[in-house]
Formats: sequence, C-alpha cells, structure tokens
Amino acid sequence: MPTITDLVDSGAIVRIDVELAPRDQPLRLLYGTPQFIEWLQGLLRGDEPSQRLGQTSPAEQVDDLFHSFLSGEPLIFTRQFRVVRAEENAVWELKTPDIRIFGWFMAKDCFVAVFGNWADTVKDHDLYRGYRIAIRRLRRELGIDATLCVRGVEPDDVLSV
Amino acid sequence: MTFFRFDIGARSRTAGRLLGRVRRELLRAVTEERRAGLTQQELARRLQDKRSNINRQLSGEDEITLRSLADLAWALDREITFELRRPGDTAGQNIAPLTSTVGHKPIRIIAPKMTND
Repeated sequence: MPTITDLVDSGAIVRIDVELAPRDQPLRLLYGTPQFIEWLQGLLRGDEPSQRLGQTSPAEQVDDLFHSFLSGEPLIFTRQFRVVRAEENAVWELKTPDIRIFGWFMAKDCFVAVFGNWADTVKDHDLYRGYRIAIRRLRRELGIDATLCVRGVEPDDVLSV
Repeated sequence: MTFFRFDIGARSRTAGRLLGRVRRELLRAVTEERRAGLTQQELARRLQDKRSNINRQLSGEDEITLRSLADLAWALDREITFELRRPGDTAGQNIAPLTSTVGHKPIRIIAPKMTND
C-alpha cells in the first residue's frame, strides 16, 4: 500500500507551498495532482473568470487561501471549506469568492487538491457530482482509498484548531 | 516535479492576504455573534442596510471600504486594531530570505581565506 512519499516519488502528487511570513510556521500540508498544478500555473499567467466577483484576483484569492491553510489558521467552515457530500471517504471543497478547489484529506491537516475551477462554472454546470466521482476513482486507482483518506465528515476530523 | 511554489509576487501577496484577513476577521466575529443570537437580519437592521449587501461584503463579492469595516465593527461590538510596522527580526521567526534557494538575495559564495605562508 503506497505511502505519501511513494505518491510524491511516482509523480502522482506534488507538494505545494506559498511564501510564509517571517512569523508563520508551516503547520499543514498541501499537495496537488499534476493536472491541478497545471491549473495553478494558468492562474499565475493571469487566467480570470468571465465575471469576477472577488475584490482580489483569482491568484490572490488562492494565495490567501493556501497561506491560511498552510500556516494553520482556523478556516471558516462552509465559507472556506466544506464537505461535498457527507459520506465515508468524503470529497472536500476549498472555497474563495471566485474559485472552487476539490480534493480530499489524506490525513488530518493534509489535503490533496485534484480539480480547480471557477465558482460560477462549478455552480452553473453542477460539477459537484462529476468531481466527486472522479476523485473517488483516482483514489481507487492509486490504491489509497482505505489507507490515505480521512473518513470523518466533521470539520474537526480534517483540520486541527 | 515533486514541489511547486505558488508565487504571485510580494505586492499581490500583501494585497490578497490583507483583504482576505479582514474578511475572515469579520466572518469570525459574525459567527461568534450568531452563536450568541445575533442574526444577519438584525445586523442589517443595526446598520440600516440590506441583509444581501452585508452578505455580499462578508462573502468577498462586494468591496469592504474602511467606512463599512468600521460600521460592521461597531455593529458587532468589536474594536479594530491596526498597525503598520517595519519588518524586523524577532526571536523564533523564520529566516527564509537568508537561507532559502528561492529568496530574492543572490547566492553568496564564501571562499576559505587563502594564506601564502
């Protein structure tokens, strides 16, 4: 059964970080699939939704979200993260005004991002079910559905503090 | 690739994190007050504004001006603390700019002193 290190070594997931302020310490772990990293690179190139809601750019929103997550700030349940469907081995969603990120928690405070998309697109096309099924399939293919996946659906199950 | 740094640049980082932090502080205060029985409807009544306007500000869809921040803090019975300070070294902080390979400072190569004797 693969470990997190095996998944990184095989290229299935990539560790993600952002610059932390001098007084911050990295208290959580964030990974993404190669496909998700490509999507992040699009944000860095300036990709924008057709109609932006947030006061800040999508890249700024994601940087702020990742910084909050990695530095161990308490995230606000349902406003910044929520479970897509209350089920065993659930898929979770991280949120900003314009962005939705889907993935799962391999362990408490350890998230793997698989899909990122504009909030409007996700809602208009009701992509929740499709992303949920695709992420469950990916976990099965990686052989980690039973080992590297938090089972609980309460905020305290996936994030400390 | 085993590692990816999402780097948007210092200027964007400062703006995005400040605005995000203000919004989160407000959301936390609203959540705390909700537990104590204050609804968004009541908050809107205190501010003589529409509930939908306040919700859009809290969700990040509408701009929060300094005036609306002060009004929300008043309605939530919260003090605002604000400070601008120069970055300085304090005990226990990261020293990433000196040690990181992705820091903005060029790499310094310190050669051993050569003697001629």
